Order: sequence, then structure tokens, then C-alpha cells
Amino acid sequence: MAAVEFPVAGGHAADGHGDPDANYLQATHGFRSWALTVDHKRIGLMYLTMVSIAFLVGGIFALLVRLELFTRGKTIVDGETYNRFFTLHGAVMVFLFIIPSVPAALGNFFLPIMIGARDVAFPRINLLSFYIYLCGVCILLSSIIMGAVDTGWTFYTPYSLQTSNSVISMTLGVFVLGFSSILTGLNFLVTVHTMRAPGITWTRMPLFVWGMYATSLIQVLATPVLAITLLLLAGERFFGIGIFDPKLGGDPVLFQHFFWFYSHPAVYIMIVPGMAINSELIATFSRRAIFGYFAVAMSSIGLAILGFLVWGHHLFVAGMSEFATMMFSALTFLVAIPSGVKVFNWTATMYKGSIVWASPMLYAMAFIFLFSIGGLTGLFLGTLSVDVHLTDTYFVVAHFHYVMMGGTVIAFLGGLLYWWPKMTGRMHDEKKAKIGFWFVFVGFNTVFIPQFIMGSRGMPRRYYDYLPQFEPFHKASTIGSWILATGLFITAFTLLEALWKGRKAPRNPWGSAGYEWMTDTPPCLANFHSTPVITRGPYDYHLATPEELSTGWDEVEAGAHTKKKD
Amino acid sequence: MAAEHSHAHDYDDGAVHVHIAPSRFYWAIFAGLVLLTVLTVKVSYYDFGSANIIIALVIASMKASLVAAFFMHLRYDKLFNTLILLAAFLFLSLFILLTWDDLGVRAHDHGYAQKLSPETGLGAPGGEPATSATADDVGAAPEGAPKGAGHEEKKE
Amino acid sequence: MANVSESMAGTERVGHDAHAHPEFLQHHFDTPTQQFNASKLGMWVFIATEILMFGGLFCAYAIERGLEPQIFDDAHHFLNKIMGASNTVVLLFSSLTAALAVRSAQVGKRNLTSFYLVVTLLCACAFLVIKYFEYSHKFHLGLLPGHCFGHPGLSAAIQDGQEVGTCLHVNAEAAPVTPEWVKAVDESGHVRLLPPRANMFFGLYFVMTGLHGLHVLIGMSILTWVLVKNIRGKFSPAYFTPVDLGALYWHLVDLVWIYLFPLLYLVGKPE
Repeated sequence: MAAVEFPVAGGHAADGHGDPDANYLQATHGFRSWALTVDHKRIGLMYLTMVSIAFLVGGIFALLVRLELFTRGKTIVDGETYNRFFTLHGAVMVFLFIIPSVPAALGNFFLPIMIGARDVAFPRINLLSFYIYLCGVCILLSSIIMGAVDTGWTFYTPYSLQTSNSVISMTLGVFVLGFSSILTGLNFLVTVHTMRAPGITWTRMPLFVWGMYATSLIQVLATPVLAITLLLLAGERFFGIGIFDPKLGGDPVLFQHFFWFYSHPAVYIMIVPGMAINSELIATFSRRAIFGYFAVAMSSIGLAILGFLVWGHHLFVAGMSEFATMMFSALTFLVAIPSGVKVFNWTATMYKGSIVWASPMLYAMAFIFLFSIGGLTGLFLGTLSVDVHLTDTYFVVAHFHYVMMGGTVIAFLGGLLYWWPKMTGRMHDEKKAKIGFWFVFVGFNTVFIPQFIMGSRGMPRRYYDYLPQFEPFHKASTIGSWILATGLFITAFTLLEALWKGRKAPRNPWGSAGYEWMTDTPPCLANFHSTPVITRGPYDYHLATPEELSTGWDEVEAGAHTKKKD
Repeated sequence: MAAEHSHAHDYDDGAVHVHIAPSRFYWAIFAGLVLLTVLTVKVSYYDFGSANIIIALVIASMKASLVAAFFMHLRYDKLFNTLILLAAFLFLSLFILLTWDDLGVRAHDHGYAQKLSPETGLGAPGGEPATSATADDVGAAPEGAPKGAGHEEKKE
Repeated sequence: MANVSESMAGTERVGHDAHAHPEFLQHHFDTPTQQFNASKLGMWVFIATEILMFGGLFCAYAIERGLEPQIFDDAHHFLNKIMGASNTVVLLFSSLTAALAVRSAQVGKRNLTSFYLVVTLLCACAFLVIKYFEYSHKFHLGLLPGHCFGHPGLSAAIQDGQEVGTCLHVNAEAAPVTPEWVKAVDESGHVRLLPPRANMFFGLYFVMTGLHGLHVLIGMSILTWVLVKNIRGKFSPAYFTPVDLGALYWHLVDLVWIYLFPLLYLVGKPE
């Protein structure tokens, strides 16, 4: 008897939403069936499309920033425009891409499947959160057209109270996007609490779900404070309330407290999902249960909670009291512990596992390497005395790109390659994916290692011009950005090409024991043909039957006329 | 294999079972709330110094607890819902406390405008003109070491 | 073997076609109990987000009050305690009627539910009317936030004998408007002189009560929608979730006011 029951016969009468047993991509047709869908899988794909476009836009701004910095003085634009470029790169990447990316795209798609549910708890709210996101995108776009903001994505006062009018429209756009994030988090929390299938206890949930759960906790608790911060900022600009403006008796550092109370937990919204993906990848491609499952699950929750206690480390030199700086520095050291737990446990998982060098695994390994560098350099910055020298230099820029890009984006790409067959029913070309990976990996390090060096030697961030001694580093960094961009385009091409030319994927191409691989590829509309009953954990390779773990490549090979795979 | 369903039985008769309190119970809670409101207004006419705000918050919290427990049915609901409410307040207090340990500790007295620079004797830019600078203002040591280090960094 | 009831936390599952579906049961849920629990949980998570959002304002209040206690003491005498207390009682009463509306829906008394919802809405209107009187009084005295403090009716400073726009929007060439001192009679009949720095208190007052007022309006729309659905007979003892959730939102609005009232109106040195 199978340890995971997924009967394929029977089912329910088709309702107005389409046959629940049909492939979700084909169950209903037409523009309206996508625009008004309440199917979490379709919503996930729509989000995926939008965040990919956002990534492209943010990436173009990044390339422009790096191009301007290729030589000293003016290269392509003047200083004012340059300020707008880096502000937009930051705002687009943070609010339009990275915060929604994993939760709204992959989380939406896989969270219900991984807990044996037919959909999220509130499918219509799910669709609403997508449209709220679109609204935010439009408002942000209009702020760009109105002349864009040059304050940096952090909108610090008092400058943001004085500069161009697009500040209000940009803050409004971000305000709206915040609600999208809150509703996604709310949905996931309720789904995990109330819709788990029989047998999926808290200690049998896939670690991806634990990660999404922890992320949702942060989204729900932190984002409202961003909302009120932006509201107060807009109010200050419009009505002159005076809470952040020293001329009216306010305190600009209070703005920073408000802003970072959200934005620090926000970085955990960005990284925890990436770590959650990584757990899945490492387990599958080592064909072993994750070492220390419960510790890894609790470390996600630990990051969520501890992440709320450290925001002051962004304000060390802003003029905070000495006492506060010491408190926050000590707390910042604490928050490194859960990340360390994960890195150790992933490494232990790989020890004596059967490693498969598929492209998602390359990304997973890169994640461990790059995130470790990012995390460790974070400790440098958390050390109060060292931060005085490194703050607002390129060291900080390199640090957060290592964790956000070397962490989350790498994991996101790995997750996309891993789950692409499940989502689309098509297999991508592994060879191209691996080539893309190497361009990304080499390019990424070429961009950011020089930035660590520059930063420690004093090159300030957000500067348009710089001293001659930094020119070779900037040049290297810019060339790296071209290599990185090439790698990303190759990867995007690989994924898109699969939609047209990819071979039909078997049910479980990677031979994973994960629950999502036990259902159809691509999943049927209702995810399962009837409610599953689970009797083993998601990483229990020793308990899974050979039938569950079989990749199904043999049937595909026998049935198809395509040439031999890699 | 034939369609398999989980074998749990549905004991729902299609309804949800909740605790339904009698009307007069809600009226009684309302009466309690009004009493507490009267109390908090009456107490505000007396001065207990710094305890004023604590008393006000305690009474407000009692009212809030009544509303949350009985009007919002938390008392008869799943415990987790109460935990959510408490968690929200907990994180809010963390926010207030940790922000306070910066802003409350910075030796502010009499507002921004009356900070006079020891070197020039002039008020800080912005804010209202200094009205009556006191001796403690002029001699006050600036709080927060990073200012000095910041200067050094700029020289590089 | 997993302990099913533990993982289900009280909910049960059935195969999809084991029994006829009640009309209100959405198809991704298995039972009405599961749907109800999920809806309530979702609403409480949402309430938590609202608490954190308003909480930011309470944090700003706490910080500013700690920095300028004298300002807060002096300025709060301009808030009318009687109006504030009346508003408190009005909201508490509306909370009672909202809870009674839920109860009536739970026992299937449709007309009584409508009655209580209407009373709740009327109380909300009363709240807004009292608020309007309070706001216009301050408007006339010039007890306004930021630049407009000391500029009754949003007038601007006279520069070189000329009015240069309103305090919110000054003509391009003119210097920015500064807050002025306010000398006026407070609610207990004393003449008070408030320095320009007192704009901070009124800034917080208007933002906090304004955001709260916005939530009153939103709550009214939600309750109106619930009322309409109730009149159309959509609710029964088996399904009253929207009434429950609408009332929960309304209670949240009440909860925020329970804290706003003492902190703004009552706390400070009495006369």
C-alpha cells in the first residue's frame, strides 16, 4: 500500500469553474478564465510573469547604474538622473520583485499542494491581492513618469520631505503593494492552520511550507507598520504634520525607526522563502531526509521572531543613543544563529547523500556558498565599531546583494528550474540551464567581490563620482554585471524555450519524495483527484515506495521520439 | 483503484456550533464598559503625577479585554485567535520599547530649539528661535559617540 | 500513524461527494466548520495587522509625549472631554448592538439582526457628527497640525502686508509659512497660550482620530453590505459568518477608540 495515497480514478462533478480532474492549464480557456481565476496555480503563474517583468526592469536599472559607474565623472547621464536610477533599481527590486517573488509565485503554486489542500483558504482574496499588486505597479510606474524619486529606496527624511513631488505617488504605490503582501501572508497563515490534509501534521509539513508560514508571520506583523510610515510621510509632505520634520519639532531619526521596523523584517521576508526552497532542493538532490528537520523548521520561525528585534542596526550612525546602539548590536548577533543552523544542517544533509548534479542543485550549492558570505559580512556590519567605518559604503551594498541576490534570487532560479516541469509539464534543457548557471555565478561574484574591497577602502554608496583608486574596481564590477546579465538571459531563455520545445515531463523527473511530486504533472485543477491521506514525511526516502520515487523517464523515452537527454 | 475518501465522519449537520450568550449578558458587559468609562473620566480630574497615564491605560485595557473577550467572543473561541491578538500587542510593545530606548534616552530637554552650540552659542538650525536657554542646555554633552567618528570618516 | 484529530485541530474531512453541499460552502473547503474556523482565523490575523498599523501611531504618540510632556499637558485642555466621553459611550453602545446583531443571526432572527445593524449604523453616524463638531471647533481656533498651527481657517501669514496663499499651499515666491503661537480659551474656560511646538500634539490628534474616522466609514460600508445581505435572507443559524466578521471589524474600531480616548482627552494635569 502506498504511503501517500493519490488515487487517480473517481472525482467530483465538474462545476462552473471547469473539470476538477483536468490539467489546470487546460481546464478552462480564454482571457477571462485567467483574469478572473481563483485557482492558486494560475494566480501563481500570473504573479510569476509580473515579478519576472519587474526583475527585468529592475535589472535594466542596475545595468544603467553600473554603466554610469564604469568611468569616473559622467559616463552616460548626469548626477540627478543617476540618483533616480539607483532609487528605481532599489524600489523596483525590493517592492515589485523580491518581496512578492517566492511567496506569491512559487508559494501560491505549491503551498496548497504540499499540504494536500485544493486551494488556499481565501481564493478570491488571493486574486484580489494580485490585482492590488498590479495597482501598485501602475502607481509606481506613474511616479516614474512624473519624474521619479531620487531619495534612495529608503525615502529618508528630511530630504524626502523636500524633493520632487513623485515622492507621494511612489509612497502611495508602495503602500498599495504592502496590502498585497499582507493579504498573501494572511491567506497562507490560515491555509496552513486549517487546510492540511489528513496525516500532514506540523512535524510532517515540508520545510518549504514552514518557510512560507514564517514568512507570512513577518508579512502580517511588519508590513502594517510600513503602511503607517508611508502614510505619515505622505501626510508630512502634504499637510506638514511635523512628526519627522525638525523644523516643525519632529525627529528624522524617528522616520528611520519606523521605516526599518518594517524593512528589517522585510529582508527576512526575502530570505526565508529562499532558504525554504533550498531545503527542498538539497533534500531531493541528496536523496536524503533533511538533517535536523525540526531544527530547520524552528530556525525559520526563529528568524521571523528575532528579525523584529534588530532594526536599529541600520541606524548605528544616524544619531541614536549609545545605549540603543549597543542593544541592537547585541541582538543582531543573535539573529545570525538560526541562519547558521540552516547552513550546518544542509551541509550535514549532503554528507553521504547521493548527490545529483542537476541545475537546481547547482543553484542550491551556490546559495549555501553565497549566502554564507553575505551572512558573515553581515556580522562585520553588526559589530558596532566596525560598522562606523563600513556603513554607507560599498561593503554594505555587496553584503546585501550577496544575501538578497546570492541568496534569494539564486534560490528562486533554482526553485524555478526544479519546479518548472511540475508547473508547465515540460522539461527544460539541462545543458543550457547549467551554462546559464555558470555565467550567473561567475558574473555575480565578479560584480560584488570588488565592491567588498572598495567598500572597506572607503568608497561610499550611492555616489555618482569617485576617486581614481576605485576605478579598476568599478570597471571590474560593471563587466561582471554584463556576465551576470548574460547568465540571467540564458536561464530565462532556457525556461521559456521549454514551453515550446521542451519534452513532456514525467510525473516526477527528479525522483523526489516530496508531496508535490506525487500528484499529476501538471497538477489537475483541484490539485488532487480526491483528498490525500499521508502516512510518511516529505523527505522519507526510506519509506517511499519505488513507484512514488520513479522518475517516469522510461515511459517518456519509450513513448517519445526525442533524442537522448543529457 | 476506486475513489478513496478519508474515513473521517462528518458530524456536522451542515451547521457550525458556537456558544450563544443570552442578550442580557451582552447588556451586562455594556454596563460594565460604561462604568469603566465613567471611572476613567472621573479619575482624570485628579492628579497622580506620572501614574496618570498608567491608570488610564490600565482602565482602557480592562475595557478592551471586555470587548475582546465577550463582544468579540474570544472567551468562547479557539485559543489561537486570542494568541494572535496578544502577539500583535506584544510586537507593538517591542516596537515602542526599543524605539523609546533610543529617543527617550537622548537627553532631550525643553525641545530642539533650545539646544545651543557650545562653540557659537547659537541655536540649532530650524525650529523656533531660542526663547530662554538654560545653563544646562549650553553645557550639555552631546549624547551618542558616533558623531566624532563620523567626522573622522569624512576626512578620509 | 498520524493522529488525525490532532492535526486537524477539530475539523473533519470527507470526500467531495459524500453529501449535498450547503449553498454557502465554498468548494475548496470540506465542511462548514472548517470554513467558519478559517474565516474567523483570517479575520483575527487581519485585526492583528490593523493593531500594528494603528500601533505605529501610538508609538509616535508615546515618543512625542515623552519628549514634550508639557506641550501635551497644555494642549489636551483644548479637547472637549464631554464630547470625547459621549463618543466613547456611543461607540460602546454600537459595539453592543453589533454583538447583539451577531447573536440574532446565530439564532435565526432575521428582522432583529437588521434592527441591530441599523442601530449600529446610526450610532456610527452620531459618532461622526460629534467628531465634525470637534474638528470644526479646532479649525476655527487654528489648532491644526504642522504649518497651519496658529492659522485659523487655514489662513497664511501675512507677508509684506499681503496674504500669500493658505498655510498648506503658499505662493511660489513667498517664504514658507511658520506655525504661530495660539492664544485661545480652552474647554474649561481658561485662556491658554500654546507655543508653535504644540502643533505636534494636534498633528497626532488629527492623524490618529482621522485614521480612526476613516475606519469608522469603512466599518459602516461593511455593515451596510451585511445588512443588505441579511435583508435578502442569505444568513441562517448555519451560516452567519459575514455578520460575525463585520461585527468583529466594528469591535476593532471600538477597541482603537477605547485607547485613543484616554490618551488624547484625559491624560494630563487636571485643572
